[in-house]
Amino acid sequence: MSFLHDYVYYIGAFGLVAVGLLILLVKRNLIKLIIGLSILDTGVNMLLISVGYITGGTAPIFSRPGLSEGGMVDPVPQALVLTAIVIGVAILALALGLAVRFYKNCGTLDLRTAKELKW
Amino acid sequence: MRLAVGLILLAVIGVGIAVSLGGIPFGAPKTVIGDHYVDSARDDTGATNVVTSVVVGYRAFDTLGEVTVLFVAALGLGAVLAAAGGGGGRSGVEPASLILRVGNAFLFPLILLFGAYIFSHGHLTPGGGFQGGAIIASAFLLVYLSSPGKRISATRARATESLSGLVFVVVGLLGLTLGAHNFLANFLPKGVPNTLFSAGIIPVVYCAIGLKVGSELAGVVDGLMEETG
Amino acid sequence: MVSPVVLLAVPLGLALCVPLVGMASRKAAGFVPVAASLFNLVVSVGLLPDALEEPIVANLGGFAPPFAITLFAGPVGVLLSALVALAGLAVSLYALSYISEGPTIRYHTLYTLLLVGATGVVLTGDVFNLFVFFEILCISSYALVAYVGDRAGTEASIKYLIQGALGSALLLIGIGLLYGLFGTLNMADIAARMGSVDPGPVFVAMVLIITGLGVEAAIFPLNAWLPDAHSSAPSSISAMLSGIAIEVGLYAVVRMVFTVFGASSMLMFLVFMGFLTLLVGELCAFAQSNIKRMLAYSSIGQMGLIVFALALATVHSVTGGLFQLVSHTLSKALLFLAVGYMVYRSGSMEISSLEGMGRRMPLTSFAFTVGAFSLVGLPPFIGFPSKFLIVRSALAEQGVLLQVLVGLLLAATVVEGAYFLRVIQTVYFKKGRQQEARREAPAVALFSMFVFVVLIVVIGVYPNLISNALESGASELLERADYVRSVLG
Repeated sequence: MSFLHDYVYYIGAFGLVAVGLLILLVKRNLIKLIIGLSILDTGVNMLLISVGYITGGTAPIFSRPGLSEGGMVDPVPQALVLTAIVIGVAILALALGLAVRFYKNCGTLDLRTAKELKW
Repeated sequence: MRLAVGLILLAVIGVGIAVSLGGIPFGAPKTVIGDHYVDSARDDTGATNVVTSVVVGYRAFDTLGEVTVLFVAALGLGAVLAAAGGGGGRSGVEPASLILRVGNAFLFPLILLFGAYIFSHGHLTPGGGFQGGAIIASAFLLVYLSSPGKRISATRARATESLSGLVFVVVGLLGLTLGAHNFLANFLPKGVPNTLFSAGIIPVVYCAIGLKVGSELAGVVDGLMEETG
Repeated sequence: MVSPVVLLAVPLGLALCVPLVGMASRKAAGFVPVAASLFNLVVSVGLLPDALEEPIVANLGGFAPPFAITLFAGPVGVLLSALVALAGLAVSLYALSYISEGPTIRYHTLYTLLLVGATGVVLTGDVFNLFVFFEILCISSYALVAYVGDRAGTEASIKYLIQGALGSALLLIGIGLLYGLFGTLNMADIAARMGSVDPGPVFVAMVLIITGLGVEAAIFPLNAWLPDAHSSAPSSISAMLSGIAIEVGLYAVVRMVFTVFGASSMLMFLVFMGFLTLLVGELCAFAQSNIKRMLAYSSIGQMGLIVFALALATVHSVTGGLFQLVSHTLSKALLFLAVGYMVYRSGSMEISSLEGMGRRMPLTSFAFTVGAFSLVGLPPFIGFPSKFLIVRSALAEQGVLLQVLVGLLLAATVVEGAYFLRVIQTVYFKKGRQQEARREAPAVALFSMFVFVVLIVVIGVYPNLISNALESGASELLERADYVRSVLG
């Protein structure tokens, strides 16, 4: 039980990743696939942040003169996640634009009608 | 069938990640560079927000790349929607309710002010260019929702986007020629920590990023609004 | 000596200027990518002599190595960035006449940013920076594949996007695990600390990273997106994708496996996967009737060959692999450029519609023939010394398995020759259905094609021009200790 309590953030983040991956592998509606991509990105970002947590640490901002450097969490994963969130938003925006155009061209959002993929 | 394959793949990936995370105990201090950044951020960059000094000081090149990714996506969206043919016009939309219109008139300048506060104080409080830019874009979204016919001027948005991006690149190149002879090195005075005019190039860069991201996301929202009506 | 940063900063600045230039004049916007790639070509070639002696390490921001992002401009990096700039220059000249409809200003901006992304991946020495520039490359290629507004382009782009985004999510998980295990993001620093961590978790991170990068590098079975994307994109973009993007993806895989992980256990697996990719690519190419799809499958096959050569991990095989990479870029880009106008004039992408092109577009067909012969590996073109090096280095290894693989490799080359000869026969020896007058491709397009033809012939006849640089590159990739020493001191 203590294992679960200690690792709850890892498990939660991986749960989101798992949900996102399943949606991408199983669903056929384009909007659902894009939502799955968004959930996958959220899960990956959560995983990254959890890696940087230090027990008992606080946000790495020296807002008052008295704060010591010892009690702060790792700032690097937070910087990485800032970048990763923006990149995720960028991919999402492009995917939505393509979904709009796909709907205009084919009249449906079902990816099964895209039949050109064959070996 | 696909569900079964998906679950098996997921189980394999899950086991793999669990094995790997076993080597990364949760909550234990594990990095050398994290500690160095927390210790020396105030001396090296002058910013009291250590995350900002990592994003715009130590790893500023990644931020330049990130700004470029957003730029690429906004351009790609514009290209994809332009090739699909223009939007059908928003004739079928009912006018917004009274609350929305009055609320927008009241809130729009406040939201813009809040966004500007966030990106200009990025080196002192949590926040920064991207967050501030997203808030500014949401102000424009509110305008679109409350007044269906209004549009921002596309050329002005694109010009703001390009010029603010150029400010970022030029600041970097100035670091190369002046200062420490390194791209994106600090060449402005670091000032007194915890005041607004401190931290060298960081406020300049974050203001440029805030304006760029704001105009970019507003342009993205504008493009998608045109399409779907 | 300039800092290698200008190879990234200046084209980025120029890309930001393209919309401003485009507001003044639409035609002038097309010249900005030309200027950017010309600048990159001149600077890369200028940096090459220095980089061959001692790799140039640039610490950005002025901080010391593990705390700053480093750019590592060694022989491989500068050589590949020169190759990217050269191909980018020729294709941007081609695009001046080829891209005339649609949102052309956005095309030119996206194209310049694709070059920036590719150059960034090749020059970086930091794992997360690799991810960021890799995303610049991938997202601009998603948008450019969908440039032509038709249904095929949209479908191909969506499939490419979803598979690519899945790959980059896996890549990001791998990078996060690397940071958690090693506490640093600098490639040299991770390589130096590799011995201090359990191999199990590191193996998982390595597999995730290779899978994520492998989607873009088109390793079997991650290359399902490639035939659609490369055949539905406008031909100038197909040339860049087949000629630059997948090569750069493959470079990223190789850099991670050789330098960061130093994984000798993974190599035999990669040899096998490369071989499988080669077989699948060539056999599927033989069965195609759409010429751009055929060329796309041929790209898959060639990537398999390059992976096979690189994963054998001897100096000669890696030199051969790098040589084949250069040869593929030049030949495949030339083929796509020639096919672009041939398809445009005949109106269809079926091979049968190219009958009689030899008479209607003699110079373009000649360029196509040169590209085809070079890819198959006939002398005096560049494909011959590269393939010869690979075969000879593979035979020098001990082991019956390798000899069998080499035999099958030569059989795959025969298959390649067969399907290219089929196209050449259609182009030259079949009478066209309509008797049309001679109407060549525009002069600018012919100029870019002939830049490639000249390079293919010259390097084919004098391979020593670049083989020294390639050998230094091979030893840079294989010698981990030297890499770590150059960066960390």
